Amino acid sequence: MIEVRLQKTLPGFALDVAWAADDEVVTLFGPSGAGKSLTLQCLAGLTRPDAARVVVNGRVFDDTVAGVHLPPQARHLGYVFQGYALFPHLTVAENVAFGLRDRPAPERRRRTTEILAQLGLEDLAPRDPRALSGGQQQRVALGRAIAPDPAVLLLDEPLSALDAPLRRQLRAELRSLIVGLRRTVVLVTHDLAEAYQLGDRLVLYESGRVVQAGPKAEVLGRPGSEAVARLIGLRNVVRGTVVKSAADRIEIAWRGHTVEAVNSPTAPFVAPPGTTVAFMVRPEHVRLIRKDRAGLDPAHHMNLLRGTVVEAIDHGTSWTLLFRIASPGPASQGAYDLEIEVPQLVYEILDIARDREWGVSMHRGALQVLAGV
Amino acid sequence: MPEAATSALWLSIRVSLLATLADALVGIPLAYLLAKRRFWGRQALDVLVMLPLVLPPTVTGYYLIVLLGRRGWLGGPLYRLTGWSLPFTWYAAVVAAAVMALPLLVRPARAAIESVNPDLERAAFVLGRSEWRTALEVTLPLARRGIVAGLVLAFARALGEFGATLMLAGNIPGRTTTVPLAIYTAVSTGEAAEARVLVLVLTTLSCAVVVLASRLGSRL
Repeated sequence: MIEVRLQKTLPGFALDVAWAADDEVVTLFGPSGAGKSLTLQCLAGLTRPDAARVVVNGRVFDDTVAGVHLPPQARHLGYVFQGYALFPHLTVAENVAFGLRDRPAPERRRRTTEILAQLGLEDLAPRDPRALSGGQQQRVALGRAIAPDPAVLLLDEPLSALDAPLRRQLRAELRSLIVGLRRTVVLVTHDLAEAYQLGDRLVLYESGRVVQAGPKAEVLGRPGSEAVARLIGLRNVVRGTVVKSAADRIEIAWRGHTVEAVNSPTAPFVAPPGTTVAFMVRPEHVRLIRKDRAGLDPAHHMNLLRGTVVEAIDHGTSWTLLFRIASPGPASQGAYDLEIEVPQLVYEILDIARDREWGVSMHRGALQVLAGV
Repeated sequence: MPEAATSALWLSIRVSLLATLADALVGIPLAYLLAKRRFWGRQALDVLVMLPLVLPPTVTGYYLIVLLGRRGWLGGPLYRLTGWSLPFTWYAAVVAAAVMALPLLVRPARAAIESVNPDLERAAFVLGRSEWRTALEVTLPLARRGIVAGLVLAFARALGEFGATLMLAGNIPGRTTTVPLAIYTAVSTGEAAEARVLVLVLTTLSCAVVVLASRLGSRL
């Protein structure tokens, strides 16, 4: 259980965040410079916040009002630094044993052996950590951090020092390792894929503030605002104006058309006509209308739009089509209005390479309203 | 080798070793402090330590007399209390050499300490080490190349010290005449042969120190 409230002003930057988590993996996600690493440093006691209350498992680490500020030595946290910060003048085993100095020698040896075995590092024990691969270094750093059995483990961009293929491979490995700890783990990343795969709870950072926090599925499935949708990398986040809004349905004027969407069941967006509204549609939910099948089924072809595929991007097994609606005026996303995701097979069958004029439809349930701007 | 030359050589080695030891004791903590801490007067301390590098040695020697002479700021009270004064003893040669050589240790040592990745020190803090233990177990071991390089430079500088030594310790044969002073005396009194021997000895010794330093540096 961890409870965090931090304020820290630096030249040109202000951190002001509050969040809490149980024994789970919390991912602090956001762009570089959002204050994620600074948060970790404050949690570890390496940077002194201006005002703070940090409580871990009932132990007060910081309480500015009560004048409490524990030094890093007294917090007993595990910290995996970005780039790992392994001691280059010590062996792998000595690195892992570094935090065990206060224990009697036999216990220290036992615990070091145990950790090395747990992480599959036995054979590397006498080695110079600089001679290890990136993945091995990461495990040594993790072993060094967890050897003293800390209540909370902090990881700062744990995979960013690795090459892309290795990063994907190690993501799963790291996930099973940190879940196995059954501890609160706070993990910082600016990589969306890591945030998706490693965490249970997501805390979204932007410019020193928390813009949304909650269980991963909730944050990713129901972004609370346009800013959050963009932050978590959702595509086709666009703006229109309200034509008519009610608790269950909302009609939006967009690019010369009126599109209809299901309003949010938990927080419906109801506003007077003319109000600007942001909404999104996932690229795989935009459907191309086959020209070889006669007759439109109104139940399946809602929000019908005509336009041109202005560009097609090959992803090997699928294609992204950049689609511009045939309406005057500037397109919603620069040169295009919608990204459409189609499987390779569909791309070939419909001969999209040559035929660029299409009608598309979007089910009203696929349009997600992101509240006002 | 004439007896005077031998005694000058042993004195030089003894003075240089002691001066280097003194510099190690003062200079390494000083380098750490200048690298890590922000305190009042830090800039002034920095300038003070570096001053012998840019001032003429005779000027540094003059300041040392003002400070440590029989009527000096520190030397005066010392003389009144104990009846002993530093100038014109071989200890004065040690002090002069140590002061002149100090910046050559502090500069590389400080740069080496500053170049240690601060995350390594933070890692040590988080793993329970105090700042003192972190300096001993992490920072200084990782800065050892720079520190050793500085110690070698300081030793070499102490070995060649002339101006400040002459000012503070004088040129008393058998007591404060180090090799550089002996060379000066030999040349000015026309003892060309003795001068040649001493020049050769000092050159050889300095070369040996440099070779030793590079051997040591590659093994660290």
